Amino acid sequence: MVDAGGIRLHVQRTGPRDGRTPHSTVVLVHGLLTDSLASYYFTVAPVFAAAGLDVVMYDLRGHGRSERPAHGYTLDHNIDDLEALLARLDVTGPVHLVGNSYGGTIAFGYAARHPGRAASLTLIESEPATAAWAAKLGGILRRVVTELAHNEPDAIAWITAHRGHNTARLARGAARLARETSLGLDIPASRVLTEDQIRAVRCPVLGVYGGDSDLAELVPVQRRLLPDFRAVVLPGHEHSVLVEAPGPVGAHVLDLVSAGAGAR
Amino acid sequence: MNPTQPAPAQPTADTVLADVTGMLRTVLAEYGDDDVEIGMSTTFNRDLELESIDLVTLAGLLEERYGQRVNLAEFLAGMEFDEIIELTVGRLVAYVAGSLDTGRTV
Repeated sequence: MVDAGGIRLHVQRTGPRDGRTPHSTVVLVHGLLTDSLASYYFTVAPVFAAAGLDVVMYDLRGHGRSERPAHGYTLDHNIDDLEALLARLDVTGPVHLVGNSYGGTIAFGYAARHPGRAASLTLIESEPATAAWAAKLGGILRRVVTELAHNEPDAIAWITAHRGHNTARLARGAARLARETSLGLDIPASRVLTEDQIRAVRCPVLGVYGGDSDLAELVPVQRRLLPDFRAVVLPGHEHSVLVEAPGPVGAHVLDLVSAGAGAR
Repeated sequence: MNPTQPAPAQPTADTVLADVTGMLRTVLAEYGDDDVEIGMSTTFNRDLELESIDLVTLAGLLEERYGQRVNLAEFLAGMEFDEIIELTVGRLVAYVAGSLDTGRTV
């Protein structure tokens, strides 16, 4: 556990096991509600460590093993946490940021706030914070709060029948988080980025999308706004592409990181 | 659990099972589960209802006990998603015993 400016965050850090000095740091940021650093820990993190990277993962506030305050869940709180965490870990140089879903929105926000500190950015099923993003997440979170958190037995019975036992257990965790905190109200009320602020992120950005996910529609939007953007669409996957296809996702991130290692 | 306690020189599946069971009881205690039966055929997901973040805690306990030879992250990263869902205590015990055995002959 690391004290990141007044909040205790669960951090896992790994790296090459053969004594090599890591050539860069990669910071992995997970998504909302049902997610935790475990989505990286058991998938791409060992691969990144074996490739010679210093790998930092953490649980977002309210998630996994990190502290769960009742309030303070706007995007800016999450970016502040990331900032404080890296300072606390003495990670000062530019880092390669990888974010899954909402984690990518946090990573992008960090890069927008500190352009010199992002060596590259990978957005897995993710997008920068815009007004449209806030409205979409607001809709999803309203459903979680109204249908799940306030009518849990019925909602869980439906999810168990239609999506299985495992998803139902994850949903129970999400309902608890929504009930115990102001996250559902805070995230849609987050300060978003202007187009100029998005354009100002000049580091290489990789978008990774599931072919069956509606987020793949964002590719042309990002391409128009971002000076250095490339996209990978993995067919046959939806929003969970990171845990379903960690092999290809990890390989694309490593390509991006090693291209940057030569140039920077 | 005492992290500095050395692993036995020749761990058998039985001693590893006893160790792993103790670690799982530590993890489950956070949920107030203290009388769950744990055996070789117990599954992490369905029987113990462990979440993936609980497996991160277990990975830390395994490394404390056995050192870096036992790397749960690498073990699971080599598996398909469905295999992880079906993972049993017995399969983990076999992996741990195998890793320690390799370590001894090196």
